[in-house]
Amino acid sequence: MHETQYAIEMVNITKKFPGIIANDNVTLQLKQGEIHALLGENGAGKSTLMSILFGMYQPEEGVIKKNGEIVKIHDPNDANNLGIGMVHQHFKLVECFSVLDNIILGVEDSQLGILQREKARQKVLELSQRYGLSVDPDALIEDISVGMQQRTEILKMLYRDNEILIFDEPTAVLTPAEIKELLQIMRNLSAEGKSILFITHKLNEIMEVADRCSVLRKGKYIGTVDVATTTKAELSRMMVGRDVEFAVQKDEAKPEQVVLEVRDLSVASKLSKKNAVNNVSFQVRAGEIVCIAGIDGNGQTELVYGISGLEPVQSGSVLLCGKDITHAPIRKRSLLGMSHIPEDRHKHGLVLDYTLEDNMVLQRYFEPEFVDKLGFLRRKNIRTYTERLIEQYDVRSGQGPVTLSRSMSGGNQQKAIVAREIDKDPQLLIAVQPTRGLDVGAIEYIHKQIVAQRDAGKAVLLVSLELDEVMTLADRILVMYEGEIVGQLNPKTATVTELGLYMAGAKKEDV
Amino acid sequence: MILLLQYTLIFASVLMLVALGGCFAERSGVINIGLEGIMVIGALGGALVMKFLPVSVGVLPMVAITVVVSALFGCIFSLFLAVAAINFKADQTITGTAMNMLATAGATVAVKAMNTAASNGNDVSSDIAYIHAKDLFIVRLGQFEFNWFMLVAAICLVISYVALYKMKFGLRLRSCGEHPQASASVGIHVQKMRYAGVLISGLLGGLGGIVYITAGVSVWKFENGVAGFGFLALAVMIFGGWHPLRIALAALLFGFLRALGNVYAGFDFLMMLNIPSVVYNMLPYVLSLVVLAFTSKNSRAPKAAGIPYDKGTR
Amino acid sequence: MRKSNTSVLRSDGLQTLISSLLCILGGLIVGYVVLLIIEPKGALDAIVALMKSFFRFAGRSRMKYLGQNLARTVPLILCSLSVLFAYKVGMFNIGVAGQYVAGACGCLYAALAWKLPWLPCLLIGMAAAALLGVIAGVLKTKCNVNVVISGIMLNWIALYLTNLILGMVKSPMSPYTMNLMGTNPKAKLPSLGLEKLFSSESSVTIAIPLAIVIAVVIYIVLNKTSFGYELKATGHNYHAAKYAGMKEDRNIILTMMISGALAGLGAGLLFLTGIEDWETTISSVPAMGFNGIAVAFLGGLSPIGSILSAFFVQYINFGGGNVDLQVYCSQISSLISSLIIYLCAFVAFFKYIIQLYLRKRKEKQEAQLLKGGEEK
Repeated sequence: MHETQYAIEMVNITKKFPGIIANDNVTLQLKQGEIHALLGENGAGKSTLMSILFGMYQPEEGVIKKNGEIVKIHDPNDANNLGIGMVHQHFKLVECFSVLDNIILGVEDSQLGILQREKARQKVLELSQRYGLSVDPDALIEDISVGMQQRTEILKMLYRDNEILIFDEPTAVLTPAEIKELLQIMRNLSAEGKSILFITHKLNEIMEVADRCSVLRKGKYIGTVDVATTTKAELSRMMVGRDVEFAVQKDEAKPEQVVLEVRDLSVASKLSKKNAVNNVSFQVRAGEIVCIAGIDGNGQTELVYGISGLEPVQSGSVLLCGKDITHAPIRKRSLLGMSHIPEDRHKHGLVLDYTLEDNMVLQRYFEPEFVDKLGFLRRKNIRTYTERLIEQYDVRSGQGPVTLSRSMSGGNQQKAIVAREIDKDPQLLIAVQPTRGLDVGAIEYIHKQIVAQRDAGKAVLLVSLELDEVMTLADRILVMYEGEIVGQLNPKTATVTELGLYMAGAKKEDV
Repeated sequence: MILLLQYTLIFASVLMLVALGGCFAERSGVINIGLEGIMVIGALGGALVMKFLPVSVGVLPMVAITVVVSALFGCIFSLFLAVAAINFKADQTITGTAMNMLATAGATVAVKAMNTAASNGNDVSSDIAYIHAKDLFIVRLGQFEFNWFMLVAAICLVISYVALYKMKFGLRLRSCGEHPQASASVGIHVQKMRYAGVLISGLLGGLGGIVYITAGVSVWKFENGVAGFGFLALAVMIFGGWHPLRIALAALLFGFLRALGNVYAGFDFLMMLNIPSVVYNMLPYVLSLVVLAFTSKNSRAPKAAGIPYDKGTR
Repeated sequence: MRKSNTSVLRSDGLQTLISSLLCILGGLIVGYVVLLIIEPKGALDAIVALMKSFFRFAGRSRMKYLGQNLARTVPLILCSLSVLFAYKVGMFNIGVAGQYVAGACGCLYAALAWKLPWLPCLLIGMAAAALLGVIAGVLKTKCNVNVVISGIMLNWIALYLTNLILGMVKSPMSPYTMNLMGTNPKAKLPSLGLEKLFSSESSVTIAIPLAIVIAVVIYIVLNKTSFGYELKATGHNYHAAKYAGMKEDRNIILTMMISGALAGLGAGLLFLTGIEDWETTISSVPAMGFNGIAVAFLGGLSPIGSILSAFFVQYINFGGGNVDLQVYCSQISSLISSLIIYLCAFVAFFKYIIQLYLRKRKEKQEAQLLKGGEEK
């Protein structure tokens, strides 16, 4: 038995929730000093596994071992005592506290209950020097960059002398430069003997930094491989369960008249005084898919808010089919032929406490088909209409039209939104990260629908953070960086590397 | 003039105590609309001590026991909020509203039952008198009547500030009101901290209650509750931006306005203005509303206040 | 499909009913225990007397008291409609108490100072209350002020202003406003002969049928119309409403306006019966609005439920006067109703328990069914 060589092991873990088995006999073994990637799609059971490691849930079966000995973890304190720390995907930082207060929270040094901040500050400064993690201990979290927030999270673990460091999708929020920096920090940490578990679904990063990789799929443990002896194709096959066809079948685009025209558009930022979108101009024609690529937080969200009317614009204008809609109410834009699959389906896309049928008519409830002259809803028509959409777009739900939307799966919620927006028969379809958080089947389906819209002569504006999605779907790529469009690429001729350079702001052209 | 100062200080003491209580609850993540009720129950506890404890025990025991008992009463009553809001994730607004009604009704029933039983049915009032005990709380400095409660309030202010901003406890408490998921992730027991916050609010609220009913009179009619002082304290807390020192200033300002309403007849120039006393009573609420209107876009209110903590959400 | 829909609704309604009954039961039990503590002998008589309420009386008196109770139920119904209407649109209108006060102020001033007939008085009362609602709504949408907090502040502002304004039409001898019947009989609500059904009780007016009609209208607006669909969408998800092109801010202000108007109407329908005068020296916000909150929740946030629970709360309050005042006090009924409200906060929890029970039972049945199948 070589069990003792593992810093932490989770052996044969099974965790059930009502209706699903989140972890089915999963084993994960982390060696001392290695960087171990945990790969899996959304919903593969990665977060559940980590919650178990942190004592948030207790598994039905299986044990956790540290250095070969069985340990019980009942709450995050136990995990901390065992030297396990985690950088969560959504940072667990108190925004109005200083960096220092966030780091010491929960393990404060105190005398008679009075905080000893000075001592803590020395230790933090020491750690930040040693690992190259520059932070300002007195700055408030709400005032610092995402990168520095992440470094604060890492310092939190180091301050607690954690030996086992877990990074949950740490690169999703970072710019390429920050990602490079983070990967280097991870290498430093492992060189110092820390064991690192790196949760991700980005194959490139695994290939770059990880020693070994374990793969989960639909709650099941698929296997562990040495990264040095494997390929990206192999890893993705393990993750998805079949050979992934990244390419969607589609014919040549036949762009026709201009449907959407954006001229010198600027939109204010909610976070800072600078504009989130700065003097952006572009056109989208009927019969083409124009994709806005870029790293999260470079103004894509605000650009769409400006076009769709969710936020007022600072300057510039937006034209839909030749009509100026810069200051038009949202309802008017919708009636003029704009459909919008929003970025956040829970915030904007659905009224979760409404039934499926009530959500299906969210954009059309005021039309004579669904409401009579006295203002009474035509319930029968709403039902028939919903049943047709369910049938046509294969939206699955427990009780059909009367299912509460909240109880539907993410994929089917998204399908419902796609059905509603496409069935409006729009001139322009705006789709923002339409496949975020969905499984491969649903992604393929939605991709096909988007291409079908293009082929039906609709203009499509797609915003995506996933390079693969950008490369397969787009007829034209516009890259956004710091609120500006810095490049226009042809997906047939451009390479991913080139696209990456634009996204990182390293390359720029006048568009 | 001295009367004005005296009333200002005593009303400010009440408002500060209760607002600090509200501050502790909200900082831990629980909105305490039930402060008004907590005050009534605290006042009841204190009034009973003052009625039944012989005056001969002396100043210090009288003050100490009254303070402890009224704080304890408030504390116990605040459990109504803690249990509902923290354990059962009940709506905090309706819970607080119910507590306010419950306190007045409960105190009235209790006092009436007591009076009825003691007088064989001749006295069915809801009054408690504490004339002699009240004198023990007062030190006459010339014309100015110093009240020991003013000192108690000042001490509570200092302790509150230190507890919230200089102590481990306060750091943890505040984190629970801002981002409980973050607190839980570093091993802080969010529900325990929220219990602490609510119980402290009960303690300070109860204390505020006894100070209020002894402020001007020596007999209290419990049917009347505490006439909105709990709500006024809520306004003080908001005006003070959930911060102990600013709360103290806000309490002085609002206390001053209240005192003006009581004694404005003593000032010639105020009499000439001929402003009815209700205007002085109303002014604090108007001021709070105006401040709210200008500051709520970037509110300093604890972010997670009023949101039940659920372990499942991340 | 349709069938499953109604059965789900029915069971949800049933669950609400059971939860509400549990609250009532809990309140009564605690009330009884309190009576026992005060004086065990006679506690049973007291609680029975309390629950009998006006049924204690016989014949004509009973009808008279029934009428009086109905008249007093009306403002409760309207206040609770005000609360639930705003609640459906995502706002906790604790300001209902102040809106009620503003309504009283508007209608009584119009009636006593301007000597207007009842309808304009009613409308002025509604307008005053609606204005208060609009202030809260505007503060919410334009300045992001929490409706609960602004509501509390406005309650007290309304109270002091009302005392000030109605102080001008106060009777010279008492702190109360001048008597409505004596000053301006035109302002009394018409009864259309309804009072004959209730032994000529003078407080019986069109207010009673009107309140029921309004409850039904609110039910229809919320559940059957596109206006209600829009409002509820705004309440459930403000951002989705905006995304769908609804005028989300306007909806919120409109909701608060309607909510306020309902509370104001409630006040008008009470004070314009002449059953009560306004006391211009009161130092705390009248409990009517807060009781409305209670009634709304006890009624399961349904307009029809509001009618029933409002009547129940009034019934209990009236019953409080029946206890032997030599031993107990009438506030025992306030104690019971406030306990019921407190328990209402647990309705979600009660429902959860019921659902848990149902699920367990279903699982058991299914397991048994499975077993049975295997045996065959």
